[in-house]
Amino acid sequence: MGGLWRTGWRRVAFCGWPWNHPGNPSRAAERVESCLRSGRSGTGGAERELRRLGTWRRPSLAVQPPRRPKSTNPFTRAQEEDWRRRNKTVLTYVAAAAVGMLGASYAAVPLYRLYCQTTGLGGSAVAGHASDQIENMVPVKDRIIKVTFNADVHASLQWNFRPQQTEIYVVPGETALAFYKAKNPTDKPVIGISTYNVVPFEAGQYFNKIQCFCFEEQRLNPQEEVDMPVFFYIDPEFAEDPRMVNVDLITLSYTFFEAKEGHKLPVPGYN
Amino acid sequence: MSTAMNFGSKSFQPRPPDKGSFPLDHFGECKSFKEKFMKCLRDNNFENALCRNESKEYLECRMERQLMAREPLEKLGFGDLIDGRSEIKTEP
Repeated sequence: MGGLWRTGWRRVAFCGWPWNHPGNPSRAAERVESCLRSGRSGTGGAERELRRLGTWRRPSLAVQPPRRPKSTNPFTRAQEEDWRRRNKTVLTYVAAAAVGMLGASYAAVPLYRLYCQTTGLGGSAVAGHASDQIENMVPVKDRIIKVTFNADVHASLQWNFRPQQTEIYVVPGETALAFYKAKNPTDKPVIGISTYNVVPFEAGQYFNKIQCFCFEEQRLNPQEEVDMPVFFYIDPEFAEDPRMVNVDLITLSYTFFEAKEGHKLPVPGYN
Repeated sequence: MSTAMNFGSKSFQPRPPDKGSFPLDHFGECKSFKEKFMKCLRDNNFENALCRNESKEYLECRMERQLMAREPLEKLGFGDLIDGRSEIKTEP
């Protein structure tokens, strides 16, 4: 009995298929009935897919129950329930994955920062950088490093900016002082702001400035010339880093820009 | 300033100085100390270890004239130069 019914529905479903106009379900129902009368038989392979395509819309003014099984055959109904359940499970998993991805993309920023801080990659701030370290550090006297100085000025800034010494020989763990000189040859006060760079990049992690003149606006009056000191030291752990074994030359490079209203220099730190 | 826009490799991150920025010495109050220090550097082939006394004096000058926050010298790495003891004599 079940088999007979199945064949019948198959035929009906196939009849409804070529004319799939979900907009006018009534006409689809008419066509289906005409097919039934003609008694044409169709191939049954696509029965399940057809039903899913939703070509079988019956007009109904009554509120339909939320999950009305599309077949009356108990076997296919159970199958449909099974598919529905599986669909729901898959949908839940997919939705959870999507939400998880979104959350991961938001969490990535602080997590990456944490990772950088712990591993010290990218030359980012290494935690535990207190002035007590300066007090207690011991110079590594057998490792002499030459520090050369470079001075640059942005094209729009008309200062004469240069280092007062071309190089200085220091050892890790020893604080050192160096001077730059800047002169404002124009007749107007000019405000400049500077940033610095250390080459080689990996050695930049060990280059610590106690005090300098960078990242703050410095104002020079007309025709004024000032000395700009840099007080720095190289971390004693530099001598123990295997990657720094061949590093004997560090170049400190300062660049001055003109400080303009609303123009922000990329200030270090994550504030 | 690191202008290389290659995001694949690590870029240099400038760090702020530990104690901030030196106020500018507009009136040249510590210029003589600076000149002494520079002369010492030139005489000693730019070796910093031999001129630490002069750098200490320069920083002391700054601290006296409010051009630098006052700090005990040990915190600036001059612990071995206090009490007039200096490991390396600079005077001839």
